[in-house]
Amino acid sequence: MSWLYDLINVRLIAEYSGVFLDGIIATVWISLICLILSLFFGVFVALMRMSEKGIIWRTAAAYIQFIRSTPLLIQIYLIYYGLPNLIGNFFDETQTGIIALTIHTTPYMAEILRTGIMSVPRTQTEGAMAVGMNRFQTMYHVILPQAIAKVISPLLGQTVVLLKDTSLLSIIAVFELMGAGLLMFSDTVVATESYLTTAVCYLAIYMMLLIISGIVERKLGGTSAQLA
Amino acid sequence: MEWLITKWQVLQSVMPFLLDGLLITFEISIIAIVLGSVLGAVLGVLKTLKSRLLSWTINIYLHLFRGTPYLVQLYMVYFVLPSLNISWLQFESYTAAIVSLTLYTASYVTAIVSSAIHAVPHGQEEAARSCGMSKAQALYHIIVPQALKLTVPPMASVYVIVIKSTAVLSVIGLSELTRQGETTILRLPGDTMFIYMAIAAMYFLYCYPVLRFARWAETKLETDN
Repeated sequence: MSWLYDLINVRLIAEYSGVFLDGIIATVWISLICLILSLFFGVFVALMRMSEKGIIWRTAAAYIQFIRSTPLLIQIYLIYYGLPNLIGNFFDETQTGIIALTIHTTPYMAEILRTGIMSVPRTQTEGAMAVGMNRFQTMYHVILPQAIAKVISPLLGQTVVLLKDTSLLSIIAVFELMGAGLLMFSDTVVATESYLTTAVCYLAIYMMLLIISGIVERKLGGTSAQLA
Repeated sequence: MEWLITKWQVLQSVMPFLLDGLLITFEISIIAIVLGSVLGAVLGVLKTLKSRLLSWTINIYLHLFRGTPYLVQLYMVYFVLPSLNISWLQFESYTAAIVSLTLYTASYVTAIVSSAIHAVPHGQEEAARSCGMSKAQALYHIIVPQALKLTVPPMASVYVIVIKSTAVLSVIGLSELTRQGETTILRLPGDTMFIYMAIAAMYFLYCYPVLRFARWAETKLETDN
């Protein structure tokens, strides 16, 4: 084991354990907020994509194509430099980062939700309408509960992607897990300890998600989730 | 009108820079996809063999590369490997970019190839073996050609992911499209938004056809079956 002590300075990592813990908490928080927001807006974009082919459908399609065909980093820059021009310096870095990530993740969530909603048989809608529900009630009480079971594993996969995407926010000076690694590196100039610890922390969160998805899969009795 | 003319002049002055960057982005993404596909295909085939140890090892590799952001992987390759004082691990940024992006690409390709091989009906292999083919012959002549068709749509999607990931390489100072844009903006801070929009348009022109191809290939596969 002594060669390992030569390679990795454990004491140094212990010194920065608090910083990394803060980084983990920040990353999980940001991911969670973006997850909830992108699901919320994703429902609307999915509905736009399922509407009659017109201006609304076109807008949603163009939005999805743009997000899918350009790098996240460029999208982050566009929001980071562009948002203040539109509304002034209303948000701080972290909030701006959350907005950018939500804008990026929403189309992916929308596509997952759309696939789930489309997989619910039409007869379900007809049946709900027949008992006197309106469109909204049908969606909320009949379609969505059935769609959710189908979308849960691609959704977990997208959550892993989102979790990894938060690391890019370190480039616009948002403090999160990657930022914790960069902070340790700028203080100590030891690359191995800084970046290895960062990687291990990300893996720890990833493992937690794997375990959660395993439990969910067993509950639903579905096929195993293809994460990330 | 005035505004249009000034923007057009800006575009004319920055375009050569951005095109240099696009060329590097193009180059690196092609190299990474080729090397990553070869490595991924080999690992994907190995993963389907009946060896416990092999598939376990490959799964560890997949989880390592799927469970960490590409940015972290890039820092590992660019900063950590050279600090181990092994002579052949002394990368400059270009090599670090190729190495990290290849490994990252291969992690996607491995999963695609192995699941495509699993999707080929088991009877095909049994039939090949009963004709007197060895395991290797059955793979080479019967299974892989059938699996190859299945890999086309997901491979196109992976290619888009790789192109988009090259933007991250700007953080290690590699002069690809995003980095060239940042440098240009230092010169023309007033046109920040305009230049980033131009860059987004360039990425779009590179990625969108590949995305369309992926969707086309997917529908073609569905109609074939």
